[in-house]
Amino acid sequence: MSTNTDMKFLVVDDFSTMRRIVRGLLKEIGYNNAEEAEDGAVALNMLKNAKFDFVVSDINMPNMNGFELLAAIKKDEKLKHLPVLMVTAEARKEDIVRAAQDGAAGYIVKPFTKATLEEKVQKIMQKLMTAA
Amino acid sequence: MDDYTTLAPPAATSSVSPEVVYQQLGHLTRLLHDTLEQLGVMPNLQLAADNLPDARSRLNYVAKKTGEAAEKVLNSVDQAKAEHEKIARETREIAQAIMADPVKAVASGSVMNFVGDVEAATARIDQHLTDIMMAQDFHDLTGQVVAKVVKLAGDLEDSLVKLLLQAAPPDQVAQHRADPDVLNGPVVDPSTRTDVVANQGEVDDLLASLGF
Repeated sequence: MSTNTDMKFLVVDDFSTMRRIVRGLLKEIGYNNAEEAEDGAVALNMLKNAKFDFVVSDINMPNMNGFELLAAIKKDEKLKHLPVLMVTAEARKEDIVRAAQDGAAGYIVKPFTKATLEEKVQKIMQKLMTAA
Repeated sequence: MDDYTTLAPPAATSSVSPEVVYQQLGHLTRLLHDTLEQLGVMPNLQLAADNLPDARSRLNYVAKKTGEAAEKVLNSVDQAKAEHEKIARETREIAQAIMADPVKAVASGSVMNFVGDVEAATARIDQHLTDIMMAQDFHDLTGQVVAKVVKLAGDLEDSLVKLLLQAAPPDQVAQHRADPDVLNGPVVDPSTRTDVVANQGEVDDLLASLGF
């Protein structure tokens, strides 16, 4: 696991606006190193070809949605340790439960605040540090 | 009105010639058309259907305008934040210079340069704020378009519900439910639903109840 300042994030969302907002917020809370992917398929390809420390993913996306990406990550021996934080407009309880059961590290419903993102990211970081 | 008992399917063992099938199909088509006309649904339904392509292009317009506005705002914010960061950095530097040697800081022109930089940066930041304000013009335009599409959806819904209530057997009406996937996306009014959460606090409570 990298230290906080050089941790590399992958922000996955089909809307470029939301990707920019999440990247901007991550930067504000101290994480300057982030890349973007417009859907799960692109994200998975990037994850397999470069080292990332943290994934922030939407659910509703074309080609490969967030649940499919989460499943693919958890199925891959090299990637399954990666924390995946779902950031989505999906507010259905069954989606939240499914995300948790499938191995998501956290779940944020849109619209959200910088404080919420910071709290969830820090909480996940702490869990990872404790587990390491 | 025609006798509906003629719509009953022929017995599986009977052999029907293609001509009879075509005649029956033609009969059914005329019957459906006449029934819809008599119910008074067709004109409204036709009108609503004719307007659907227009509604599609209107919604595309809304997506385009809101997307452009979001990009414009984010670009302006990025630029304003960069200006702000630069001023913050220069402020720290000039503060250090003044604390180290106030006379030198003034005499060397550092202080006046800083004042000039601040004035120029604030003017640029003000322009970015104006750009952000102007980018909100999409709301007026898209609001009008959305209102028209909402009216069209309402008209279409009225016609379809009328058709459904008058033409479909009650037991079949009750069997049809909306595809849950169609309801994906943001929940506009969580107070009307029991299967969704209303805020992040409820998400956290739900996850906590599951041991996460």
